[in-house]
Amino acid sequence: MTKLIVAENIYKSYGKVKAVNGLSLEVNEGAVMGLIGPNGAGKTTTIKIILGLLRPDKGKVSVFGEDPWDNPKIRELIGVIYEKAYFPSHHKVLDYLRRACRIFGVSESRAREVLELVGLDAYDREIKGLSAGMLQKFAIAHALIHNPKLVIADEPASNLDPEARSNLLDLILKLHKEEDVTFLISSHILPELSRVCDSVAIINEGRVLASGPLTELFERYSAKVIRITTDKPEAFANELRMLSYVEKISIDSRGVSLVAAEGMESNIYEDAPKIAKNINAAILGIELGTASLEQLYYKVVREKEMKK
Amino acid sequence: MERRRGNPFLEILAASIHEDFRFPILEVFAFLYAISTFAFLGLGGGIASMLSPQSGEAYIHQLVSIQMGIPLFIFLILIFKNVVYGFGSEFEKGTIQTLLSYPLKRHMVLTAKLLSALGVSLLMFLGIQFFALFIMAPQTVFANLATVIVSYLASLSYPLFLTAILLIVAMKIRKGGLALVLGIVLYFALSVASGILTALSITTGNPLPLKALSVLNPSLALQYHFNPLGSLVGGEILWNPSFNEVLAYIGGGYCLVIAAFLIAYYYFSRRLNI
Repeated sequence: MTKLIVAENIYKSYGKVKAVNGLSLEVNEGAVMGLIGPNGAGKTTTIKIILGLLRPDKGKVSVFGEDPWDNPKIRELIGVIYEKAYFPSHHKVLDYLRRACRIFGVSESRAREVLELVGLDAYDREIKGLSAGMLQKFAIAHALIHNPKLVIADEPASNLDPEARSNLLDLILKLHKEEDVTFLISSHILPELSRVCDSVAIINEGRVLASGPLTELFERYSAKVIRITTDKPEAFANELRMLSYVEKISIDSRGVSLVAAEGMESNIYEDAPKIAKNINAAILGIELGTASLEQLYYKVVREKEMKK
Repeated sequence: MERRRGNPFLEILAASIHEDFRFPILEVFAFLYAISTFAFLGLGGGIASMLSPQSGEAYIHQLVSIQMGIPLFIFLILIFKNVVYGFGSEFEKGTIQTLLSYPLKRHMVLTAKLLSALGVSLLMFLGIQFFALFIMAPQTVFANLATVIVSYLASLSYPLFLTAILLIVAMKIRKGGLALVLGIVLYFALSVASGILTALSITTGNPLPLKALSVLNPSLALQYHFNPLGSLVGGEILWNPSFNEVLAYIGGGYCLVIAAFLIAYYYFSRRLNI
Protein backbone atom coordinates (compact mmCIF):
# COMPACT_ATOMS: atom_id res chain seq x y z
CA MET A 1 0.00 0.00 0.00
CA THR A 2 1.35 3.45 -0.93
CA LYS A 3 2.34 5.64 1.97
CA LEU A 4 1.21 9.21 1.32
CA ILE A 5 2.76 10.67 4.47
CA VAL A 6 5.91 9.40 6.12
CA ALA A 7 7.39 11.24 9.11
CA GLU A 8 10.53 9.68 10.51
CA ASN A 9 11.75 10.59 13.96
CA ILE A 10 10.99 14.30 13.72
CA TYR A 11 11.87 16.88 16.34
CA LYS A 12 10.73 20.47 16.67
CA SER A 13 11.32 22.82 19.57
CA TYR A 14 10.12 26.35 20.31
CA GLY A 15 12.87 27.65 22.55
CA LYS A 16 12.99 25.22 25.46
CA VAL A 17 9.62 23.67 24.69
CA LYS A 18 9.85 20.42 22.78
CA ALA A 19 6.67 20.46 20.70
CA VAL A 20 7.55 17.35 18.69
CA ASN A 21 9.96 14.93 20.23
CA GLY A 22 10.96 12.02 17.98
CA LEU A 23 7.61 11.55 16.29
CA SER A 24 7.18 8.94 13.57
CA LEU A 25 3.99 8.55 11.59
CA GLU A 26 2.77 6.88 8.43
CA VAL A 27 -0.49 7.50 6.60
CA ASN A 28 -1.45 4.99 3.93
CA GLU A 29 -3.32 5.86 0.78
CA GLY A 30 -7.06 5.46 1.28
CA ALA A 31 -6.90 5.74 5.09
CA VAL A 32 -8.92 8.00 7.32
CA MET A 33 -6.48 8.54 10.16
CA GLY A 34 -7.27 10.39 13.34
CA LEU A 35 -4.53 12.27 15.14
CA ILE A 36 -5.53 12.42 18.77
CA GLY A 37 -3.89 13.81 21.84
CA PRO A 38 -4.36 16.41 24.57
CA ASN A 39 -3.75 20.13 24.13
CA GLY A 40 -0.04 20.76 23.64
CA ALA A 41 0.61 17.17 22.53
CA GLY A 42 2.15 18.39 19.27
CA LYS A 43 -0.71 17.74 16.85
CA THR A 44 -0.78 21.16 15.19
CA THR A 45 3.03 21.33 14.99
CA THR A 46 3.06 17.87 13.37
CA ILE A 47 0.43 18.97 10.85
CA LYS A 48 2.35 22.17 10.08
CA ILE A 49 5.54 20.16 9.47
CA ILE A 50 3.63 17.81 7.17
CA LEU A 51 2.26 20.82 5.28
CA GLY A 52 5.72 22.35 4.90
CA LEU A 53 4.90 25.41 7.01
CA LEU A 54 7.47 24.42 9.62
CA ARG A 55 10.86 22.87 9.09
CA PRO A 56 11.67 20.13 11.60
CA ASP A 57 14.85 20.58 13.67
CA LYS A 58 15.67 16.94 12.99
CA GLY A 59 14.12 14.05 11.11
CA LYS A 60 12.60 13.58 7.70
CA VAL A 61 9.13 14.10 6.31
CA SER A 62 7.83 13.14 2.92
CA VAL A 63 4.40 13.73 1.46
CA PHE A 64 3.63 12.00 -1.84
CA GLY A 65 7.32 11.05 -1.78
CA GLU A 66 8.49 14.70 -1.67
CA ASP A 67 9.82 17.06 0.98
CA PRO A 68 6.82 19.31 1.70
CA TRP A 69 8.94 22.40 2.48
CA ASP A 70 8.50 24.75 -0.45
CA ASN A 71 7.57 21.96 -2.82
CA PRO A 72 4.53 23.49 -4.43
CA LYS A 73 3.74 20.67 -6.83
CA ILE A 74 2.39 18.40 -4.08
CA ARG A 75 0.01 21.13 -2.89
CA GLU A 76 -2.08 20.41 -5.97
CA LEU A 77 -2.89 17.08 -4.34
CA ILE A 78 -3.51 18.32 -0.79
CA GLY A 79 -6.51 20.08 0.72
CA VAL A 80 -5.98 21.83 4.02
CA ILE A 81 -8.47 22.78 6.71
CA TYR A 82 -7.05 24.79 9.58
CA GLU A 83 -8.55 25.03 13.05
CA LYS A 84 -9.16 28.72 12.48
CA ALA A 85 -10.00 29.68 8.94
CA TYR A 86 -7.62 32.28 7.55
CA PHE A 87 -8.67 34.09 4.38
CA PRO A 88 -8.31 37.62 3.02
CA SER A 89 -11.33 39.31 4.50
CA HIS A 90 -12.42 41.68 1.74
CA HIS A 91 -13.19 39.12 -0.96
CA LYS A 92 -16.62 37.76 -1.70
CA VAL A 93 -17.16 34.06 -1.02
CA LEU A 94 -17.83 32.93 -4.58
CA ASP A 95 -15.23 35.28 -6.11
CA TYR A 96 -12.48 33.96 -3.84
CA LEU A 97 -13.33 30.34 -4.58
CA ARG A 98 -13.38 31.08 -8.30
CA ARG A 99 -9.91 32.53 -7.94
CA ALA A 100 -8.85 29.35 -6.12
CA CYS A 101 -10.31 27.36 -9.05
CA ARG A 102 -8.09 29.31 -11.45
CA ILE A 103 -5.03 28.82 -9.25
CA PHE A 104 -5.56 25.06 -9.15
CA GLY A 105 -6.69 24.79 -12.76
CA VAL A 106 -10.21 23.49 -12.23
CA SER A 107 -13.39 24.76 -13.84
CA GLU A 108 -14.88 27.80 -12.10
CA SER A 109 -18.19 25.94 -11.85
CA ARG A 110 -16.50 23.85 -9.16
CA ALA A 111 -16.78 26.86 -6.79
CA ARG A 112 -20.58 26.58 -6.64
CA GLU A 113 -20.38 22.79 -6.45
CA VAL A 114 -18.23 22.80 -3.30
CA LEU A 115 -20.33 25.52 -1.67
CA GLU A 116 -23.41 23.39 -2.25
CA LEU A 117 -21.53 20.37 -0.95
CA VAL A 118 -20.83 22.06 2.39
CA GLY A 119 -24.21 23.81 2.55
CA LEU A 120 -23.04 27.41 2.34
CA ASP A 121 -25.22 29.68 0.22
CA ALA A 122 -23.80 33.12 1.13
CA TYR A 123 -22.20 33.40 -2.32
CA ASP A 124 -22.04 37.19 -2.49
CA ARG A 125 -21.16 37.91 1.11
CA GLU A 126 -17.69 39.20 1.98
CA ILE A 127 -15.59 36.67 3.85
CA LYS A 128 -15.31 39.03 6.83
CA GLY A 129 -19.10 38.97 7.12
CA LEU A 130 -19.31 35.20 7.64
CA SER A 131 -20.06 33.75 11.06
CA ALA A 132 -17.53 31.36 12.63
CA GLY A 133 -19.50 28.32 11.50
CA MET A 134 -19.96 29.67 7.96
CA LEU A 135 -16.27 30.49 7.79
CA GLN A 136 -15.43 26.92 8.75
CA LYS A 137 -17.74 25.65 6.00
CA PHE A 138 -16.03 28.03 3.58
CA ALA A 139 -12.64 26.65 4.68
CA ILE A 140 -13.86 23.11 4.01
CA ALA A 141 -15.16 24.14 0.57
CA HIS A 142 -11.81 25.82 -0.16
CA ALA A 143 -9.93 22.67 0.84
CA LEU A 144 -11.99 20.53 -1.52
CA ILE A 145 -11.99 22.90 -4.51
CA HIS A 146 -9.28 21.05 -6.46
CA ASN A 147 -10.43 17.49 -5.75
CA PRO A 148 -7.44 16.72 -3.50
CA LYS A 149 -6.14 13.18 -3.03
CA LEU A 150 -5.24 13.94 0.57
CA VAL A 151 -7.07 16.19 3.02
CA ILE A 152 -5.27 17.33 6.15
CA ALA A 153 -7.60 18.81 8.73
CA ASP A 154 -6.76 20.37 12.07
CA GLU A 155 -9.90 20.39 14.22
CA PRO A 156 -12.18 20.69 11.18
CA ALA A 157 -15.40 20.48 13.22
CA SER A 158 -14.55 23.35 15.55
CA ASN A 159 -17.13 26.16 15.27
CA LEU A 160 -19.66 23.91 13.55
CA ASP A 161 -23.11 23.30 15.01
CA PRO A 162 -24.16 19.65 15.64
CA GLU A 163 -25.97 19.33 12.32
CA ALA A 164 -23.05 20.78 10.37
CA ARG A 165 -20.67 18.47 12.25
CA SER A 166 -22.74 15.48 11.31
CA ASN A 167 -22.84 16.66 7.69
CA LEU A 168 -19.06 17.09 7.70
CA LEU A 169 -18.59 13.52 8.92
CA ASP A 170 -20.98 12.28 6.23
CA LEU A 171 -19.01 14.27 3.66
CA ILE A 172 -15.72 12.75 4.82
CA LEU A 173 -17.19 9.25 4.57
CA LYS A 174 -18.62 10.01 1.13
CA LEU A 175 -15.36 11.40 -0.24
CA HIS A 176 -13.44 8.50 1.22
CA LYS A 177 -15.80 5.90 -0.17
CA GLU A 178 -16.59 7.40 -3.58
CA GLU A 179 -13.40 9.25 -4.45
CA ASP A 180 -10.89 7.36 -2.34
CA VAL A 181 -9.67 10.55 -0.65
CA THR A 182 -7.20 10.00 2.19
CA PHE A 183 -7.73 11.98 5.38
CA LEU A 184 -5.52 12.94 8.29
CA ILE A 185 -7.76 14.53 10.90
CA SER A 186 -6.70 16.02 14.18
CA SER A 187 -9.54 16.41 16.64
CA HIS A 188 -10.44 16.51 20.30
CA ILE A 189 -13.93 15.24 19.66
CA LEU A 190 -13.23 11.55 19.85
CA PRO A 191 -16.75 10.13 19.44
CA GLU A 192 -16.99 11.96 16.10
CA LEU A 193 -13.55 10.82 15.01
CA SER A 194 -14.44 7.22 15.80
CA ARG A 195 -17.36 7.52 13.36
CA VAL A 196 -15.07 8.17 10.41
CA CYS A 197 -11.55 6.96 11.24
CA ASP A 198 -10.29 3.53 10.38
CA SER A 199 -6.92 4.18 12.02
CA VAL A 200 -5.54 6.51 14.67
CA ALA A 201 -2.26 7.85 15.96
CA ILE A 202 -2.35 8.71 19.65
CA ILE A 203 0.22 11.37 20.45
CA ASN A 204 1.35 12.88 23.69
CA GLU A 205 4.35 15.03 24.60
CA GLY A 206 5.39 15.22 20.99
CA ARG A 207 5.62 11.53 20.21
CA VAL A 208 3.32 8.82 18.93
CA LEU A 209 2.30 6.46 21.75
CA ALA A 210 0.38 4.09 19.51
CA SER A 211 -0.79 4.05 15.94
CA GLY A 212 -2.48 1.70 13.51
CA PRO A 213 -5.88 0.43 12.45
CA LEU A 214 -8.50 0.88 15.17
CA THR A 215 -9.42 -2.80 15.35
CA GLU A 216 -5.76 -3.69 15.82
CA LEU A 217 -5.29 -1.12 18.57
CA PHE A 218 -8.38 -2.25 20.47
CA GLU A 219 -6.99 -5.78 20.32
CA ARG A 220 -3.42 -4.79 21.18
CA TYR A 221 -4.45 -2.76 24.20
CA SER A 222 -7.26 -5.13 25.20
CA ALA A 223 -9.37 -2.08 25.43
CA LYS A 224 -12.55 -3.65 26.68
CA VAL A 225 -15.09 -1.70 28.63
CA ILE A 226 -17.17 -3.17 31.43
CA ARG A 227 -20.61 -1.74 31.90
CA ILE A 228 -22.31 -2.13 35.30
CA THR A 229 -25.95 -1.05 35.48
CA THR A 230 -26.91 -0.12 39.04
CA ASP A 231 -29.33 2.02 41.04
CA LYS A 232 -26.47 3.83 42.86
CA PRO A 233 -23.94 4.76 40.19
CA GLU A 234 -22.02 7.40 42.16
CA ALA A 235 -21.53 5.30 45.28
CA PHE A 236 -20.58 2.35 43.09
CA ALA A 237 -18.01 4.42 41.22
CA ASN A 238 -16.44 5.63 44.47
CA GLU A 239 -15.91 2.05 45.55
CA LEU A 240 -14.59 0.99 42.15
CA ARG A 241 -11.96 3.71 42.26
CA MET A 242 -10.38 1.92 45.24
CA LEU A 243 -9.63 -1.13 43.07
CA SER A 244 -6.08 -1.05 41.76
CA TYR A 245 -6.86 -2.64 38.39
CA VAL A 246 -9.56 -0.11 37.45
CA GLU A 247 -8.01 2.38 35.03
CA LYS A 248 -10.84 4.65 33.98
CA ILE A 249 -14.37 5.18 35.18
CA SER A 250 -17.25 7.14 33.73
CA ILE A 251 -20.64 7.55 35.36
CA ASP A 252 -24.09 8.23 33.99
CA SER A 253 -27.56 8.13 35.55
CA ARG A 254 -27.98 4.40 34.93
CA GLY A 255 -24.64 3.00 35.87
CA VAL A 256 -20.87 2.94 35.56
CA SER A 257 -18.49 2.11 32.68
CA LEU A 258 -14.93 1.15 33.46
CA VAL A 259 -11.76 0.06 31.75
CA ALA A 260 -9.77 -2.57 33.64
CA ALA A 261 -6.09 -3.36 33.34
CA GLU A 262 -5.21 -6.01 30.78
CA GLY A 263 -6.15 -9.53 31.94
CA MET A 264 -7.95 -8.26 35.05
CA GLU A 265 -11.42 -7.85 33.51
CA SER A 266 -12.77 -11.02 35.08
CA ASN A 267 -11.99 -9.75 38.62
CA ILE A 268 -14.88 -7.35 38.37
CA TYR A 269 -17.32 -10.26 38.37
CA GLU A 270 -16.09 -11.13 41.88
CA ASP A 271 -15.69 -7.59 43.21
CA ALA A 272 -18.89 -5.97 41.90
CA PRO A 273 -21.28 -8.10 44.04
CA LYS A 274 -19.15 -7.39 47.14
CA ILE A 275 -19.31 -3.64 46.48
CA ALA A 276 -23.06 -3.83 45.89
CA LYS A 277 -23.48 -5.56 49.23
CA ASN A 278 -21.30 -3.00 51.05
CA ILE A 279 -23.18 0.03 49.76
CA ASN A 280 -26.54 -1.65 49.65
CA ALA A 281 -26.95 -1.21 45.89
CA ALA A 282 -28.60 -3.40 43.29
CA ILE A 283 -26.70 -4.63 40.23
CA LEU A 284 -29.05 -4.71 37.28
CA GLY A 285 -26.49 -6.05 34.80
CA ILE A 286 -22.77 -6.46 33.94
CA GLU A 287 -21.69 -6.46 30.31
CA LEU A 288 -18.32 -6.62 28.59
CA GLY A 289 -18.01 -4.58 25.38
CA THR A 290 -15.47 -2.87 23.13
CA ALA A 291 -14.16 0.41 24.46
CA SER A 292 -14.85 3.71 22.82
CA LEU A 293 -12.04 5.63 21.15
CA GLU A 294 -11.90 7.84 24.21
CA GLN A 295 -11.41 4.84 26.46
CA LEU A 296 -8.75 3.42 24.17
CA TYR A 297 -7.00 6.79 24.29
CA TYR A 298 -6.97 6.88 28.10
CA LYS A 299 -5.80 3.30 28.27
CA VAL A 300 -2.87 3.93 25.93
CA VAL A 301 -1.85 7.15 27.69
CA ARG A 302 -2.14 5.55 31.15
CA GLU A 303 -0.19 2.46 30.10
CA LYS A 304 2.66 4.58 28.72
CA GLU A 305 2.73 6.69 31.87
CA MET A 306 2.94 3.54 34.00
CA LYS A 307 5.86 2.26 31.89
CA LYS A 308 7.66 5.57 32.47
CA MET B 1 -13.62 18.10 -15.67
CA GLU B 2 -12.76 21.09 -17.81
CA ARG B 3 -9.47 22.54 -16.58
CA ARG B 4 -8.78 26.22 -17.16
CA ARG B 5 -5.56 26.96 -15.42
CA GLY B 6 -4.86 30.54 -14.50
CA ASN B 7 -1.43 31.71 -13.52
CA PRO B 8 -1.19 31.13 -9.74
CA PHE B 9 1.31 34.00 -9.41
CA LEU B 10 -0.95 36.48 -11.21
CA GLU B 11 -3.99 35.29 -9.28
CA ILE B 12 -2.24 35.85 -5.94
CA LEU B 13 -0.98 39.22 -7.17
CA ALA B 14 -4.53 40.19 -8.18
CA ALA B 15 -5.90 39.02 -4.83
CA SER B 16 -3.22 41.04 -3.01
CA ILE B 17 -3.96 44.19 -5.03
CA HIS B 18 -7.66 43.70 -4.29
CA GLU B 19 -6.86 43.47 -0.57
CA ASP B 20 -4.21 46.23 -0.41
CA PHE B 21 -6.04 48.80 -2.50
CA ARG B 22 -9.68 48.17 -1.77
CA PHE B 23 -11.96 51.17 -2.30
CA PRO B 24 -11.22 53.99 -1.48
CA ILE B 25 -7.53 53.53 -0.53
CA LEU B 26 -6.19 53.84 -4.08
CA GLU B 27 -8.43 56.81 -4.85
CA VAL B 28 -7.57 58.66 -1.63
CA PHE B 29 -3.82 58.17 -2.02
CA ALA B 30 -3.88 59.14 -5.71
CA PHE B 31 -5.71 62.33 -4.75
CA LEU B 32 -3.24 63.08 -1.95
CA TYR B 33 -0.28 62.48 -4.28
CA ALA B 34 -1.74 64.69 -6.97
CA ILE B 35 -2.73 67.58 -4.73
CA SER B 36 0.53 67.62 -2.78
CA THR B 37 2.66 67.19 -5.92
CA PHE B 38 1.02 70.05 -7.82
CA ALA B 39 0.85 72.32 -4.76
CA PHE B 40 4.56 71.92 -3.96
CA LEU B 41 5.59 72.05 -7.59
CA GLY B 42 3.93 75.44 -7.95
CA LEU B 43 5.46 76.66 -4.73
CA GLY B 44 8.82 75.02 -5.45
CA GLY B 45 9.40 76.71 -8.81
CA GLY B 46 9.89 80.12 -7.24
CA ILE B 47 11.86 78.86 -4.24
CA ALA B 48 14.16 76.74 -6.43
CA SER B 49 14.99 79.66 -8.72
CA MET B 50 15.91 81.74 -5.67
CA LEU B 51 17.99 79.00 -4.10
CA SER B 52 19.71 77.74 -7.24
CA PRO B 53 20.03 80.51 -9.74
CA GLN B 54 23.43 79.26 -10.96
CA SER B 55 22.58 76.22 -13.09
CA GLY B 56 19.69 74.32 -14.65
CA GLU B 57 20.77 71.13 -12.91
CA ALA B 58 20.79 72.71 -9.46
CA TYR B 59 17.43 74.31 -10.21
CA ILE B 60 15.80 71.06 -11.29
CA HIS B 61 17.27 69.24 -8.29
CA GLN B 62 15.80 71.84 -5.93
CA LEU B 63 12.50 71.69 -7.79
CA VAL B 64 12.31 67.90 -7.55
CA SER B 65 13.35 67.96 -3.86
CA ILE B 66 10.68 70.49 -2.93
CA GLN B 67 8.05 68.80 -5.06
CA MET B 68 8.87 65.37 -3.63
CA GLY B 69 8.81 66.31 0.08
CA ILE B 70 5.21 65.69 1.12
CA PRO B 71 4.36 63.08 -1.59
CA LEU B 72 7.40 61.06 -0.50
CA PHE B 73 6.05 61.02 3.03
CA ILE B 74 2.63 59.94 1.71
CA PHE B 75 4.39 57.26 -0.33
CA LEU B 76 6.13 56.04 2.81
CA ILE B 77 2.86 55.85 4.70
CA LEU B 78 1.33 53.81 1.87
CA ILE B 79 4.20 51.33 1.59
CA PHE B 80 4.45 51.03 5.36
CA LYS B 81 0.71 50.36 5.48
CA ASN B 82 0.91 47.72 2.75
CA VAL B 83 4.32 46.13 3.19
CA VAL B 84 4.99 46.48 6.91
CA TYR B 85 1.52 46.55 8.45
CA GLY B 86 -0.14 44.49 5.71
CA PHE B 87 2.48 41.76 5.55
CA GLY B 88 2.95 41.67 9.34
CA SER B 89 -0.79 41.26 9.72
CA GLU B 90 -0.75 38.32 7.29
CA PHE B 91 1.28 36.48 9.92
CA GLU B 92 -0.79 37.79 12.79
CA LYS B 93 -4.08 36.74 11.16
CA GLY B 94 -2.64 33.61 9.57
CA THR B 95 -3.68 34.36 5.98
CA ILE B 96 -0.12 33.54 4.92
CA GLN B 97 -0.94 29.88 5.66
CA THR B 98 -3.69 29.97 3.06
CA LEU B 99 -1.33 31.52 0.50
CA LEU B 100 1.21 28.79 1.20
CA SER B 101 -1.38 26.09 0.55
CA TYR B 102 -1.35 27.06 -3.14
CA PRO B 103 1.01 25.45 -5.66
CA LEU B 104 3.46 28.33 -5.71
CA LYS B 105 7.01 28.61 -4.38
CA ARG B 106 7.50 30.76 -1.32
CA HIS B 107 9.61 33.37 -3.10
CA MET B 108 6.88 33.79 -5.72
CA VAL B 109 4.32 34.38 -2.98
CA LEU B 110 6.58 37.08 -1.52
CA THR B 111 7.15 38.62 -4.96
CA ALA B 112 3.39 38.81 -5.57
CA LYS B 113 2.84 40.44 -2.18
CA LEU B 114 5.68 42.94 -2.76
CA LEU B 115 4.60 43.80 -6.29
CA SER B 116 1.18 44.61 -4.96
CA ALA B 117 2.28 46.44 -1.83
CA LEU B 118 5.36 48.22 -3.15
CA GLY B 119 5.18 48.11 -6.95
CA VAL B 120 1.72 49.65 -7.31
CA SER B 121 2.53 52.38 -4.75
CA LEU B 122 5.83 53.16 -6.49
CA LEU B 123 4.19 53.34 -9.93
CA MET B 124 1.51 55.68 -8.62
CA PHE B 125 4.03 57.92 -6.84
CA LEU B 126 6.47 58.18 -9.76
CA GLY B 127 3.70 58.40 -12.34
CA ILE B 128 2.09 61.44 -10.71
CA GLN B 129 5.47 63.07 -9.97
CA PHE B 130 6.76 62.78 -13.55
CA PHE B 131 3.41 63.77 -15.00
CA ALA B 132 3.41 66.93 -12.87
CA LEU B 133 7.00 67.79 -13.79
CA PHE B 134 6.39 67.36 -17.50
CA ILE B 135 3.29 69.52 -17.34
CA MET B 136 4.78 72.32 -15.27
CA ALA B 137 8.32 72.55 -16.60
CA PRO B 138 8.66 70.34 -19.68
CA GLN B 139 11.68 72.05 -21.27
CA THR B 140 13.76 72.19 -18.08
CA VAL B 141 12.92 68.58 -17.28
CA PHE B 142 13.84 67.32 -20.76
CA ALA B 143 17.09 69.29 -20.69
CA ASN B 144 18.05 67.81 -17.28
CA LEU B 145 16.45 64.38 -17.39
CA ALA B 146 19.54 62.67 -15.89
CA THR B 147 19.43 64.98 -12.86
CA VAL B 148 15.71 64.31 -12.42
CA ILE B 149 16.27 60.55 -12.49
CA VAL B 150 19.28 60.72 -10.18
CA SER B 151 17.32 62.90 -7.74
CA TYR B 152 14.53 60.32 -7.56
CA LEU B 153 16.95 57.40 -7.29
CA ALA B 154 18.82 59.14 -4.46
CA SER B 155 15.63 60.01 -2.57
CA LEU B 156 14.02 56.57 -2.89
CA SER B 157 17.05 54.58 -1.75
CA TYR B 158 16.53 55.04 1.99
CA PRO B 159 12.73 54.45 1.97
CA LEU B 160 13.29 51.23 0.00
CA PHE B 161 16.06 50.12 2.36
CA LEU B 162 13.84 50.87 5.33
CA THR B 163 10.99 48.92 3.72
CA ALA B 164 13.20 45.85 3.27
CA ILE B 165 14.48 46.04 6.85
CA LEU B 166 10.96 46.46 8.20
CA LEU B 167 9.76 43.59 6.04
CA ILE B 168 12.26 41.34 7.82
CA VAL B 169 11.22 42.80 11.18
CA ALA B 170 7.52 42.23 10.38
CA MET B 171 8.25 38.60 9.48
CA LYS B 172 10.23 38.16 12.66
CA ILE B 173 7.89 39.80 15.15
CA ARG B 174 4.69 38.95 13.24
CA LYS B 175 2.91 42.04 14.48
CA GLY B 176 1.91 44.52 11.77
CA GLY B 177 1.09 47.40 14.10
CA LEU B 178 4.34 47.22 16.03
CA ALA B 179 6.40 46.99 12.82
CA LEU B 180 4.56 50.04 11.46
CA VAL B 181 5.38 52.12 14.56
CA LEU B 182 9.00 50.99 14.37
CA GLY B 183 9.13 52.05 10.70
CA ILE B 184 7.88 55.56 11.40
CA VAL B 185 10.33 55.91 14.30
CA LEU B 186 13.25 54.75 12.12
CA TYR B 187 12.28 57.13 9.33
CA PHE B 188 12.29 60.14 11.65
CA ALA B 189 15.43 58.85 13.36
CA LEU B 190 17.28 59.31 10.05
CA SER B 191 16.20 62.95 9.83
CA VAL B 192 17.39 63.53 13.38
CA ALA B 193 20.66 61.66 12.73
CA SER B 194 21.17 63.65 9.55
CA GLY B 195 20.80 66.94 11.45
CA ILE B 196 23.13 65.86 14.25
CA LEU B 197 25.79 64.54 11.86
CA THR B 198 25.65 67.69 9.74
CA ALA B 199 26.19 69.83 12.86
CA LEU B 200 28.98 67.49 13.99
CA SER B 201 30.68 67.68 10.57
CA ILE B 202 30.51 71.48 10.50
CA THR B 203 31.77 71.96 14.05
CA THR B 204 34.58 69.41 13.80
CA GLY B 205 35.43 70.25 10.20
CA ASN B 206 35.31 66.54 9.37
CA PRO B 207 32.64 65.43 6.86
CA LEU B 208 33.23 61.69 7.46
CA PRO B 209 30.02 61.08 9.52
CA LEU B 210 27.97 62.67 6.73
CA LYS B 211 29.74 60.60 4.10
CA ALA B 212 28.90 57.45 6.04
CA LEU B 213 25.25 58.48 6.35
CA SER B 214 25.14 59.25 2.63
CA VAL B 215 25.60 55.56 1.82
CA LEU B 216 22.32 54.96 3.61
CA ASN B 217 20.72 58.12 2.24
CA PRO B 218 22.45 59.18 -1.03
CA SER B 219 20.20 62.24 -1.37
CA LEU B 220 22.54 63.91 1.17
CA ALA B 221 25.50 63.47 -1.19
CA LEU B 222 23.42 64.87 -4.06
CA GLN B 223 22.38 67.81 -1.92
CA TYR B 224 26.04 68.62 -1.08
CA HIS B 225 26.98 68.17 -4.75
CA PHE B 226 24.77 71.14 -5.62
CA ASN B 227 25.14 73.04 -2.34
CA PRO B 228 28.61 72.32 -0.88
CA LEU B 229 28.92 71.85 2.86
CA GLY B 230 30.84 74.76 4.34
CA SER B 231 32.71 74.98 7.62
CA LEU B 232 31.48 77.13 10.48
CA VAL B 233 34.44 79.50 10.32
CA GLY B 234 36.30 80.75 7.30
CA GLY B 235 33.72 79.58 4.77
CA GLU B 236 35.96 76.65 3.83
CA ILE B 237 34.21 73.98 1.76
CA LEU B 238 34.17 70.74 3.76
CA TRP B 239 32.42 68.48 1.32
CA ASN B 240 31.43 68.89 -2.29
CA PRO B 241 31.16 65.45 -3.89
CA SER B 242 31.46 65.22 -7.66
CA PHE B 243 28.58 63.83 -9.74
CA ASN B 244 30.45 60.54 -10.14
CA GLU B 245 30.89 60.32 -6.38
CA VAL B 246 27.16 60.90 -5.98
CA LEU B 247 26.52 58.05 -8.42
CA ALA B 248 28.83 55.86 -6.32
CA TYR B 249 26.85 56.73 -3.18
CA ILE B 250 23.61 55.91 -5.00
CA GLY B 251 25.15 52.61 -6.16
CA GLY B 252 26.19 51.85 -2.58
CA GLY B 253 22.72 52.74 -1.31
CA TYR B 254 21.04 50.41 -3.80
CA CYS B 255 23.52 47.63 -2.97
CA LEU B 256 22.21 47.92 0.60
CA VAL B 257 18.62 47.87 -0.67
CA ILE B 258 19.27 44.77 -2.78
CA ALA B 259 21.13 43.04 0.07
CA ALA B 260 18.28 43.77 2.51
CA PHE B 261 15.66 42.42 0.07
CA LEU B 262 17.80 39.34 -0.63
CA ILE B 263 17.99 38.66 3.10
CA ALA B 264 14.20 39.10 3.33
CA TYR B 265 13.71 36.64 0.43
CA TYR B 266 16.16 34.12 1.86
CA TYR B 267 14.55 34.33 5.28
CA PHE B 268 11.03 33.93 3.90
CA SER B 269 11.91 31.15 1.47
CA ARG B 270 14.33 29.05 3.46
CA ARG B 271 14.11 29.84 7.16
CA LEU B 272 10.71 31.19 8.10
CA ASN B 273 8.52 28.84 10.10
CA ILE B 274 4.88 29.84 9.78
